[in-house]
Amino acid sequence: MSVSSRRVVITGIGTLSPLGAEPDTLLARLLAGESGIARISAFDPAAMPTQIGGEVLDFDAKTYITDKTQRRALKMMSRPLQLAVSAAALAMKGVDRRQIDSTRFGVEFGAGLIPSELPELGEAARLSAEDTPARVNLQRWGQLGIPTIQPLWMLKYLPNLPAGHISIFHDAQGPNNSITESDAASLIALGEAYRILERDGADFFLSGGCESKINPVSLVRQCLFEKLSRRNDQPTTACRPFDQNRDGMVLSEGATVLVVEELGHALRRSATPLAEVIGFGAAFDRHQNGQGLAQAIRAALRQAHLTPDDLDFVIGHATGHPDHDAVEARGLAAVFGPHGIPVYAAKAALGHLGAASGATEVAIGILALHKGVVPPTLNYHTPDPDCPVRVLTTPHTVQKKAFLKVAYTSLGQCAAAILKKWE
Amino acid sequence: MRRRVVITGMGAVTPLGHDVKSTMEGQLAGKSGVGPIQQFEARTFPTTFAAEVKGFDLAQHIPENGPWDNAGPNTRFAFAAAKQALAQAGLLQDTKTDRSRLGVYLGSGEGVQDFHAIMWALSRTYDPATRDYDVPAFTRYALELFHPQREAEQELHTTAAHLARYFGLEGPNLSCLTACAASSQAIGEATELIRHGDAEVILAGGAHSMIHPFGVTGFNLLTALSQRNDAPSKASRPFDLHRDGFVLGEGAGMLVLEELEHAKQRGAVLLAELTGYGSTADAFRVTDSHEDGRGAIACIRGALKDSGLSPDQIDYINAHGTSTKVNDRAETLAVKAVFGERAYQVPMSSSKSMLGHLIAAGGAVELITCIEAIHRGWIPPTINYETPDPECDLDYVPNQARPHRVRHALSNSFGFGGQNISLIVSRFES
Repeated sequence: MSVSSRRVVITGIGTLSPLGAEPDTLLARLLAGESGIARISAFDPAAMPTQIGGEVLDFDAKTYITDKTQRRALKMMSRPLQLAVSAAALAMKGVDRRQIDSTRFGVEFGAGLIPSELPELGEAARLSAEDTPARVNLQRWGQLGIPTIQPLWMLKYLPNLPAGHISIFHDAQGPNNSITESDAASLIALGEAYRILERDGADFFLSGGCESKINPVSLVRQCLFEKLSRRNDQPTTACRPFDQNRDGMVLSEGATVLVVEELGHALRRSATPLAEVIGFGAAFDRHQNGQGLAQAIRAALRQAHLTPDDLDFVIGHATGHPDHDAVEARGLAAVFGPHGIPVYAAKAALGHLGAASGATEVAIGILALHKGVVPPTLNYHTPDPDCPVRVLTTPHTVQKKAFLKVAYTSLGQCAAAILKKWE
Repeated sequence: MRRRVVITGMGAVTPLGHDVKSTMEGQLAGKSGVGPIQQFEARTFPTTFAAEVKGFDLAQHIPENGPWDNAGPNTRFAFAAAKQALAQAGLLQDTKTDRSRLGVYLGSGEGVQDFHAIMWALSRTYDPATRDYDVPAFTRYALELFHPQREAEQELHTTAAHLARYFGLEGPNLSCLTACAASSQAIGEATELIRHGDAEVILAGGAHSMIHPFGVTGFNLLTALSQRNDAPSKASRPFDLHRDGFVLGEGAGMLVLEELEHAKQRGAVLLAELTGYGSTADAFRVTDSHEDGRGAIACIRGALKDSGLSPDQIDYINAHGTSTKVNDRAETLAVKAVFGERAYQVPMSSSKSMLGHLIAAGGAVELITCIEAIHRGWIPPTINYETPDPECDLDYVPNQARPHRVRHALSNSFGFGGQNISLIVSRFES
């Protein structure tokens, strides 16, 4: 493995989640045992099998985007894009932009499928549908439907445009990628930003992710093919990672953007490093037995020159999915031994931010390192013999300097990142 | 010394054929893959034609049933191209290689949305008076009409996962989607993963199809597509004065990238070396590339610097060459800015004149075209080049393939949204 002398640190956090818009508030609320999950209010979820989720309530991108030209661009953005540019604005708040060379300023983002906001297609659909179920007359769609749709319609939904808009807002002309690896997307994006900084391909990155599955099309699709919790009458206790009575995931929305930069660059501009990224690994869990996750963690440990004992805690992927939690637990046990390391499951309180979850939970880990305390996992009551992990249920005092964040997709893509307290 | 990355396998499914050979020979013969859209009734759309993959049957490549049966053409094309690439690399039946050192990095598109189900459900629940729809009623229709597995297969990470599971690739597994730059970016970043030591071998490339009602609607609304409906095969005319937009294509391109010593030890055939990778953003507008080609210039320079080559050493450029007014002009400016006088001596052609624009998959197929050009000593033409544009005055290899010795070739891919990627491939020399 090549050795680089360039070190990579995180110097800023912007986050919008069901538990607020300030990093410190987010940690405080997690420590207080608050939940961001409630019955969905953005639309009437009455006919959905799952009617609960984690919403960013009262979100208005104009709170964060004040520049006139940028505000005009908001019209071209669906909700996940607006969340993304807002979190990026929060992350850049303390940064003196003049100190960053545009050509050395990159964006690495995680994003997923972004569904259409249907009202803008309503007229076209109405004018071209047949009486027969699930049939649209394409001749009428072409003639009458298409002219009723806004010209820039498609641009609101392209997964590379969160990173595209962020690059425009902040004049970031360096490398720009959009990772679409589902629930692992923003953790992999951070890993790629880390690699690019290490190899001197840039000095400064905004790296993060955005997602909103609190949308009727997304939610109904996910209800059809994912295991979502159906505890509609008890939203705050619905998501139960690693608990024997877990019945599925709870979806939510949000965006987190991290300022990731080369150490010397950070110090020269007098930024305060919050944490150092010291290891990253990715793998594929082909047999969905946790071996792939273990492989990704071991790769990250090797790069960090650490042993499993050097890590203080893990922020698990831990979604509350009946099968995936068990696979993840096996992967963790393969590296750390059964019940070998404290595991925090943030999704019990926040829900699943999808492509934004990795970056959001990295942010939580960094905040916990600083505060010296990891929040308790909500809703963990009945240990599951299939999940041999030590789930943190009370606030945990941090004793060692580094933590591990893992991510796992429904199909077995795994990522692991190790971050260390900056000293 | 940094680890060197070579290409040991290639596969393609394109509008000109279902493998690399037919795709390259079609291009050298100046064939157009463009015709009236067959997959759906598009006669009243502003654009009625595209470059479609013809007569493709996945069962001829992958006989088993699997989740790909419910997948869109992106995943189906990806399987056929990946199998060709891995077979050429000798990694299909191989049992000696450590599978945990084999990864996947795709720049691949989404599956195809169920246009009819979603729009019909909307039509029944939309109220023009309020311009809103009844969500519970829509939900009930959707639960009844949407096909769960087909919905699942639209997700962006499915293709890379299915390939990894089927072909036994247990190393890093990544996907990106940066519009028209995606598969080039995947190849570039995969190269970096191998250089860094994260993997020894990566199956890298892309697969995409946007030839469906939503895709054509979206691009038509942006007025990005050619509307030369009376002469589809003449519509993609990069650098020609009368170009009026790009032509949608579809397909897949896959390459096996491998660390040089690993490839040598296995006795793999070394098809070429990936020597240069550049990556920038325009940071300008989401709808247009920068007028002066700012991002493209920095990107090409980045790839040259990475390869250690001077502009004089590049023998061939496979252009992004979309056939849109803005791209072809800006790309020409960028090449002139980087190559100076030499720009007029380096032949630069556009595969998109024949293949159409494969969107996320375009870069991979065009890089394969460069490697084939190195091997064959022939470069493909830009077809439909009839009227020179004073602002596009380089040697675009008009209409006829040309014998030309190529040691180093540059391939450009510039994404809608501002992502720019340049790759350089070189004849392998120890």
